[in-house]
Amino acid sequence: MTRGTRIFLSCIYWAFVLYVFVPLILMVVMGFKDSKFIGFPIRSWTLDWYLGVFEDAEVVSVFVYSVAIAVFSTLISVIVGTWIAVLLEGRKFWGRAAVFGLTILPALVPGIISAIAFRIYARLLGIEPGMFAIIWAHAVHNVPFVALVVMARLSTLPKSQTEAARDLGADPLVAFMRITLPYLVPAIMGASIFCLLLSFDDFVRSFFLGSYEPTLPVLIFAMLRSGMSPEINAIATVALVLTAVLGVWAERYMRRMNKETGR
Amino acid sequence: MGSDVASVRKPGGGKGADAGATFWGRLVRWGPYSALLSLIFTSPRRQFVILAAFPILWVLTQHLGPMLQMLRVSLTDSYPVAQGTDTQFTLDNYVRFFGDRIFWMPFFRTLTFAAVFTLTTLIITYPVAYFLARHVSRKNQLLMLLLLLIPFWVGEIVRTYAIMILLGNNGAVNLALRSLGLIDRPIPFMYTSFSMGVGIVYLTALYMLLPLYSALEKLPKSYTEAAADLGAGAWTRFRRVTLPLSLEGISSGCILVFLISTGFYATPVLLGGPSTTVFAETIAGFFHVAGDEWPTGAAFATIMFVAALLLTGIFQKLMNALRKGDTR
Repeated sequence: MTRGTRIFLSCIYWAFVLYVFVPLILMVVMGFKDSKFIGFPIRSWTLDWYLGVFEDAEVVSVFVYSVAIAVFSTLISVIVGTWIAVLLEGRKFWGRAAVFGLTILPALVPGIISAIAFRIYARLLGIEPGMFAIIWAHAVHNVPFVALVVMARLSTLPKSQTEAARDLGADPLVAFMRITLPYLVPAIMGASIFCLLLSFDDFVRSFFLGSYEPTLPVLIFAMLRSGMSPEINAIATVALVLTAVLGVWAERYMRRMNKETGR
Repeated sequence: MGSDVASVRKPGGGKGADAGATFWGRLVRWGPYSALLSLIFTSPRRQFVILAAFPILWVLTQHLGPMLQMLRVSLTDSYPVAQGTDTQFTLDNYVRFFGDRIFWMPFFRTLTFAAVFTLTTLIITYPVAYFLARHVSRKNQLLMLLLLLIPFWVGEIVRTYAIMILLGNNGAVNLALRSLGLIDRPIPFMYTSFSMGVGIVYLTALYMLLPLYSALEKLPKSYTEAAADLGAGAWTRFRRVTLPLSLEGISSGCILVFLISTGFYATPVLLGGPSTTVFAETIAGFFHVAGDEWPTGAAFATIMFVAALLLTGIFQKLMNALRKGDTR
């Protein structure tokens, strides 16, 4: 490969890095603007918008609400997703392909259609719009991701290990708890963080299944519809930092785990 | 976990004595537990049924259920059902779609936008993925990929807002162009299909980048080296070797991005304008008003889903045919 192509391609890479970072950096910077109006240039600076986020009781309660939804929905997704993965991985049975297809279905349905379908189904089940409805929709939507990650990890567990446990007298339940589950812990951890982020960031399902109490993305959306303000920048930046740090940590954690098992 | 530590500290101990000391050992020997187990796990078949019952029930009722219920509601004349009346089976909700321009225009617009945005994403991310997979050392690859992943952990709304700040009349792009003296008054980027495209490509780029990267990364360097030895130039090597062998990544990336782009609701609302109304907004409209519009909304969502699946299905068939043709 010629030197010219290499330089050209690396320019494209760094241009892409700029494309994905610059909008977010601008947003963070704009939160320091000492004016109610969003726009450049910024002539004077202030910390007030950021400090305001932590003093605003409504914003803080929306944060807590969103985190609570994320935690509960993740708990459900992780349990169900792991269970499905244990059923599907390394087992042949009639209808396995169908069960696998249905497992990943929620991940393939485009956002708005998924939200509408959940809204209609919630009515059928008698779930009122609100916290429980959002938790349920997020949980169902995130199950495929858990199942896929756990299945990938499970496929690397040598069968001999569980067989050895069974030979030594462990019943299926004990063998699962003592051998399989500890082996799956890193995958479950990674999938949990992924689910937490998906739920915390989700707009469309929270919007259609929520009651008057907004989650954080829904709050930002509502504020944006009535006009841009540095206050929104400050709120969005706090959300950004939270999700990016958690995401990067999860990424590193997963990578280290894969290295340890020699994958 | 305390019991774990205890059992690890005493390796090679007698099975019976050691097992009895741990929680699990005690559990196994506890009468009611083993009685319960022998009651449940009488045969491998029974064991399988216990393992499989919950997941199968879950995917049927929670994954398939909402889609089926949506389909069912789309075929009724009113929902939720008013007291004392019956719902009638009807196809009117589907007929309504074809009857009015304000319904099918956004539909075709959405599909066109999604196709154009998917192609744009592919063109932008392919060189990036190619560079990472083929021109960067193994160690730097992960770091440089990780760098790109950071913004993608941030949510849809926050990133859409970031694009609003970038492209607004007082935004960074207009400021830069003005201070360079290229323009006198701001270019109205916002509320057009352009701003929507920038936003959606921003949101979906990762879903294209990752499949492309993993397809290109799997490709052995020796293939292109062999082609070079046989006298193929850089362009021929790319067109005859690299591109055909990365078709799998292209196909899965495109399908993913297409499906995701058709489903965006908040981004078109915030970045688009009256002339860029997408079908997601049309569908959502039926759920903001009184409940009796639900069947129409359900029908429209069904149309959208079927169309998206059909198109991606056809696309996958085409790509498969292309791949077979090339490897012959």
